[in-house]
Amino acid sequence: MNFAYLVLLPFLGALIPPLVARVTANRTALACGAALLPLVALLQLFQPALRVFDGQTLLARWNWVPSLGLSLSFRLDGLALLFVLLVLGIGLLVILYARYYLSAQEKAGRFYAFLLLFMGAMLGVVTSDNLLMLVMFWELTSLSSFLLISFWHDKSDARKGARMAMTVTGMGGLALLAGVLLIGHVVVIYSLVEVLISGDQIKASPLYPLILALVLLGVFTKSAQFPFHFWLPHAMAAPTPVSAYLHSATMVKAGVFLLARLYPALSGTDLWFDTVTLAGMATLLWGAAQALFQHDLKGLLAYSTISHLGLITLLFGLNSELAAVAAVFHIINHATFKASLFMAAGIIDHETGSRDMRRINGLWKYMPYTAVLAMVASAAMAGVPLLNGFLSKEMFFAETLESSHLGALSWLLPLGAVLGGIFSVAYSARFIHDVFFNGEPINLPKYPPHEPPRYMKVPVEILVALCVAVGVFPTLVVGGLLTVAARAVLGGTLPEYHLTIWHGFNTPLVMSVIALFGGVFVYSQRRRLYDGFERLPKLDAKLVFEGVVQRLGRVASLITGQLQNGSLQSYAAWLLALVAVVLLTQMTGLPSLAPQKALLPVDGVSLLCSGMLVAAALLTTLLHRHRMTSIMCLSVVGLMVSLVFVRFSAPDLALTQLSVEVVTILLLMLAMYFMPVRTRGESSVPRVVRDVLLALVIGGGVALLAFLVMTGELSSISPFFLEHSKPGGGGTNVVNVILVDFRGFDTFGEITVLGIAAMGIYALLRDMQLRSARYDSQGRPWASDAHPLVLVTISRPLLPLALLIAVYIFLRGHNLPGGGFVAGLITAVALVLQYVASGVGWVHERMPGDYHPVVALGVLLAGLTGIGSWAFGYPFLTSTHDHFHLPWIGEFELASAMLFDTGVFLTVVGATLLILANLGKLSLLDDKKEGA
Amino acid sequence: MSHWIIAPILIPALAGMLLLLEVRERHQLRRVTGLLSASALLAVAVLLWQQAADGSITVYRLGNWAAPFGIVLVLDRLSALMLLLTALLAFPALLYACRGDDRKGANFHGLFQFQLMGINGAFLTGDLFNLFVFFEVLLIASYGLALHGRGRARVKAGLHYVVLNLVGSALFLIALGLIYGTTGTLNMADFAVKAQALSGSDHTLLRVAVLLLWVVFGLKAALFPLYFWLPATYANATAAVAALFAIMTKVGLYAILRVYALAFASGPLAGLGRHALWALALTTLVLAAIGALGAKRLGTLVAYLVVMSVGTLLAAFSYGQLQAVGPALYYLLHSTMICAALFLLTDLVARGRGEAGDTIAAGPAIPHGGVLAVLFFAAAIAVAGLPPLSGFLGKVALMQAVPVPLYWALLLLAGLVGVIGLSRAGSSLFWRTLGPGDGVRPGRQRLLALLLLLAMVLALTLWAQPVLQATASVAGQLQQPQHYIQAVLPGGAS
Amino acid sequence: MELLVAVIIGVLVSTGIYLCLRARTFPVVMGLTLLGYGVNLFLFAMGGLKIDRVAVVGLNSDPTDPLPQALVLTAIVIGFAMTAFLLVLALRSQGEHHTDHVDGDDEGDREGRR
Repeated sequence: MNFAYLVLLPFLGALIPPLVARVTANRTALACGAALLPLVALLQLFQPALRVFDGQTLLARWNWVPSLGLSLSFRLDGLALLFVLLVLGIGLLVILYARYYLSAQEKAGRFYAFLLLFMGAMLGVVTSDNLLMLVMFWELTSLSSFLLISFWHDKSDARKGARMAMTVTGMGGLALLAGVLLIGHVVVIYSLVEVLISGDQIKASPLYPLILALVLLGVFTKSAQFPFHFWLPHAMAAPTPVSAYLHSATMVKAGVFLLARLYPALSGTDLWFDTVTLAGMATLLWGAAQALFQHDLKGLLAYSTISHLGLITLLFGLNSELAAVAAVFHIINHATFKASLFMAAGIIDHETGSRDMRRINGLWKYMPYTAVLAMVASAAMAGVPLLNGFLSKEMFFAETLESSHLGALSWLLPLGAVLGGIFSVAYSARFIHDVFFNGEPINLPKYPPHEPPRYMKVPVEILVALCVAVGVFPTLVVGGLLTVAARAVLGGTLPEYHLTIWHGFNTPLVMSVIALFGGVFVYSQRRRLYDGFERLPKLDAKLVFEGVVQRLGRVASLITGQLQNGSLQSYAAWLLALVAVVLLTQMTGLPSLAPQKALLPVDGVSLLCSGMLVAAALLTTLLHRHRMTSIMCLSVVGLMVSLVFVRFSAPDLALTQLSVEVVTILLLMLAMYFMPVRTRGESSVPRVVRDVLLALVIGGGVALLAFLVMTGELSSISPFFLEHSKPGGGGTNVVNVILVDFRGFDTFGEITVLGIAAMGIYALLRDMQLRSARYDSQGRPWASDAHPLVLVTISRPLLPLALLIAVYIFLRGHNLPGGGFVAGLITAVALVLQYVASGVGWVHERMPGDYHPVVALGVLLAGLTGIGSWAFGYPFLTSTHDHFHLPWIGEFELASAMLFDTGVFLTVVGATLLILANLGKLSLLDDKKEGA
Repeated sequence: MSHWIIAPILIPALAGMLLLLEVRERHQLRRVTGLLSASALLAVAVLLWQQAADGSITVYRLGNWAAPFGIVLVLDRLSALMLLLTALLAFPALLYACRGDDRKGANFHGLFQFQLMGINGAFLTGDLFNLFVFFEVLLIASYGLALHGRGRARVKAGLHYVVLNLVGSALFLIALGLIYGTTGTLNMADFAVKAQALSGSDHTLLRVAVLLLWVVFGLKAALFPLYFWLPATYANATAAVAALFAIMTKVGLYAILRVYALAFASGPLAGLGRHALWALALTTLVLAAIGALGAKRLGTLVAYLVVMSVGTLLAAFSYGQLQAVGPALYYLLHSTMICAALFLLTDLVARGRGEAGDTIAAGPAIPHGGVLAVLFFAAAIAVAGLPPLSGFLGKVALMQAVPVPLYWALLLLAGLVGVIGLSRAGSSLFWRTLGPGDGVRPGRQRLLALLLLLAMVLALTLWAQPVLQATASVAGQLQQPQHYIQAVLPGGAS
Repeated sequence: MELLVAVIIGVLVSTGIYLCLRARTFPVVMGLTLLGYGVNLFLFAMGGLKIDRVAVVGLNSDPTDPLPQALVLTAIVIGFAMTAFLLVLALRSQGEHHTDHVDGDDEGDREGRR
């Protein structure tokens, strides 16, 4: 069976526990369900393992996203095998342990699911052959550990600890991603097969320092190296099985695993030595020292984990092959004794209900068996002879002596090593003495404590047995595994080394002895040390982290609040300022303003009208607080604009402008009825200055642009329209033909817009609450009689007349100024007049109340006209036309485009009425309300 | 001749008109009409993509008038891709709305259809003024939709949105006027040809025109300093509408990409405004990240994620000679889908927490919140660009395509900010519970709509390779504007 | 004459923009209307100015450029639709907030709070 499937089995296994949980709440059943697939994986691994021991490297590969260089490719070499065994083996023990640790009430199904997810992610990391895939699994471990740490998510500590762990390690992951992408940039492909043999190429590349920095950022955050160690102790908020798993064999080991994995590719440089060794040493000492002062059992173990990770990192940093071997060896040993210690701590917590070493004393009497196990394990942690910890620590001491890289300062390394050793002995001694002896327990929540259930101890027993076995017969037990693993790390060649307990009297032995006695001495002085430690200022990383996040949030919303102040005026100002910048930056480079053609002569009338227009516009602005007045001025502006159109041979525009003008003013008047009649002056002077500047710059700019274009020569596509209007479009009024034929699609869109606007407005007006202004600007009440007789008598006969005119304008539109749109507006205005004059009630007796269908029919007609041309095999909106003769109106062509124009007409009428009628209704409602 | 190209415009248009004719508020009928139209759109979009996938560019002459005199619709890979995305997005959004949100105000279905018409038209048209018209169609529809339902915050945000876009439309007209005044044409292809030949003051005028275009499109795309309207508008809009609006910013991006690729990727005017766009895009990315960090509501947070994606994308568009466009388009698909999904999710969460809504703080427990929590976790992973989902793949693709340290740093930091913000939001919304509240459990139909969108994200992940190849082919076509111009103007420029 | 028209356009745009930047909905509507006039004239002017050269076939030789006119017509209609919508929206906003301030609040409240 392909080993890669084994790696993926846990992901599959994650589905089982929740399913089992649906059937039964039996904890054993759940645990078995969880253990099933990992167990299968472990057993099935036998065959591949043998081949690895033969020195092969197994590879398996599926394509996923070749264009990104991302493939699902796995490798099983010695290093991978070692970690797979650790992850699966300890994982299974943890599952067994958790079976008894979790109480019946807890959601064990979910717990195991998360655990297996994490297991799968971890296996993915250690067996990845593709670096991008490795990063993916790397981040997956962060995510799944987030779920595990926050398993008791009703506890604030758990939530915060989990978020902190994920944020820190996640950040490292992002850095790692960048680093990996750079490696890929150098080596071209992401496969370790290539990368591991391209070490020199990478180290030679100018990118090497950056690559190293980014990768190490990933490693250090994951392996809790100083100064990124702070998240680890707070991850202790997790259930103890999780801690036993994450902090012994897996999560934090991922970092040192990557050091081992990329050792051939990145190590061997001074930069590597300095950064890695330094970080390792700092972590080793800091962690060891902190551990001694933790009163929380798991806190002590957490910091000791940090310091041991430092030790391993340091070993990798030394750039010596033997040191690398020692590192791998210590990875194994630490995994075994630390896992058992966490489990023991969990048992104690479980039985006494407390983890505070100031309260749990003298447990020897109550749980001697557990005590023995815990003592052996912590002795291993301390590096006592005949236990596995001792062997790797000896090698570590030896290696620190070997290194001469620091030159005259080389003695610093052994010194630091011994110091670390002393502290680790001290805190191990504390773990033993404080917990199991040192007087009687002090008011424990559960009293008297007793031995845990039989099988809860089994995992601990197995691990402790391993500690001893390795300690006594190292070569026999782990020799082979260590060899293949170390060979994988070093890339083939292995240095000469002997795993024996007795190397004879040498410096490392002396160092060990010093460490042992020194440690005991330090522990004997603990009281004084604790007092000293108490006096030191404390800072809780969690609080700091939360504080930082909170502060970031506050600062962020402050900045955002500045830009995003919810003020339309500033948003608009930003937009216009950008436009002003564009104009100012671009227009400075204008060659010349000299007109390229003769300008039209200015005549008096035009001058006068323009003067009026400008004056009216300015008045509209200056008097905008007196709204009625400014509406009047605005209407003058509109009138003048249409005159401009007339002057420059655009009668269609003039007509349209005029009719739109009327309706717009009508709308404004209606709106005025509900609005304050005055605007109060509230703009500060600087605000006004800013706005005036913006207005002047943009206005001036646009004017300049207009002038330049008007006085420039232009060869455009419009001759075509003049030429084909009659033969092609069947109309002489080119503008209209463009609208309904050449660019009929625009018009189609345009009337759609009108229709949609009507719909939207209807939606807005429905269920709208408004109070009208009862008084005008002079405080006089508005005329109360809604329908003055004069208006009524005039308007009613006006209607047919208006309609007649509309029809006329409509029909001639295709050849002379006019057309559906203008006709529609005239009709609409005429009808609206009825509303104004005779009131909604009167009109509604004679006309449909809902104009939606009219609009729809209009647009539909236009659309269908367009589709009609499909029947003749032409594209949408292709027109055809023929001659007709009507009395009075005269010779004209009936083009299919006129059908289209009818659609326009209907839409305009419908939409305009829909809008005005509903606004009118609104006022009517309002009157009713007032009346009642 | 085949009329399929115009179908994406006509189908929703006709549906909209029918919905207008239906005055008696038969809601089931309206829903069926809307959903039918949406499904039809999807079918047509798939068909058109297949047609365009082989690299052929199809031109549809409206009124049978040849370009540049008449208006033409042009179907190339890019427009086909965008049509497909729109259709894929529209159906779930509409499905979600049909669970009751559509009755919170009048004319929802009609407006929704016309919105689709406008968006599709903008993607298809090959004429600049016609683009303006369709922008207006989709804008006026979006005004209506943004204001659909009640709520003071909604009206305020809507007012801002409308006013800013009205100013934008005015600027658009000025730009178009200048383009006609200098090149004498409105057809995009013809413009691309004529623009190269300009000199002297005309050249300057054209520069102004194009930069104004970037401003106008930037306003739609929500680019700094023009995005300020977006968070409030999206966060306060009805969920389904916000989900649909996830495509709206992309319309602006599309317009920039289209015009830029046609006229300014090479030749004398190469890279017009490119550096400005690049700088503004990165600023947008940073400020959006800051906004996300400070967001007090999940809706606002998601809205800022939308803006982030805009910054990410535009930076990639404006990098080099369009070589990052392929990955960027993949990321565009991803971000549109996931943001839409998150808007729906936000709404479900808000419903579940009753009074507490989507404010990021301790609140009542969500009935049956488990499933929402899981979905949120997945969506958060995807949007933050964490493995193994499409967000990560898109980010990797972009980083490989844009080897610029600053871009990498900002992209990764933005991702980190996403992680921080989303984990904070998630743990507050789902875990800091104060006992049962008056919220409602997520209904089947709404969940289904949400799952549809998330399924698309998953598909983007699993079939990343074919999708990336497709987007690469789109980019490849964009890098050869001459083919487009050939197709539109067989006889060469007028 | 061209200069005159340019000045008109400039004035319309300036006044329009100034009013758009006011704090109350009503002047904003007025401003957008003015801006609309200005922009329409601008667009119209892009075809160049001609007197008594209506673009009707057969009426005169060398007629004026009809295309900008058609565009302006479309622009006018759309502008009308938009103005109407904005006006009603302004009313709605006043109905919701009981003020005609564009930010729905005389002090101008901030985004984020509901």
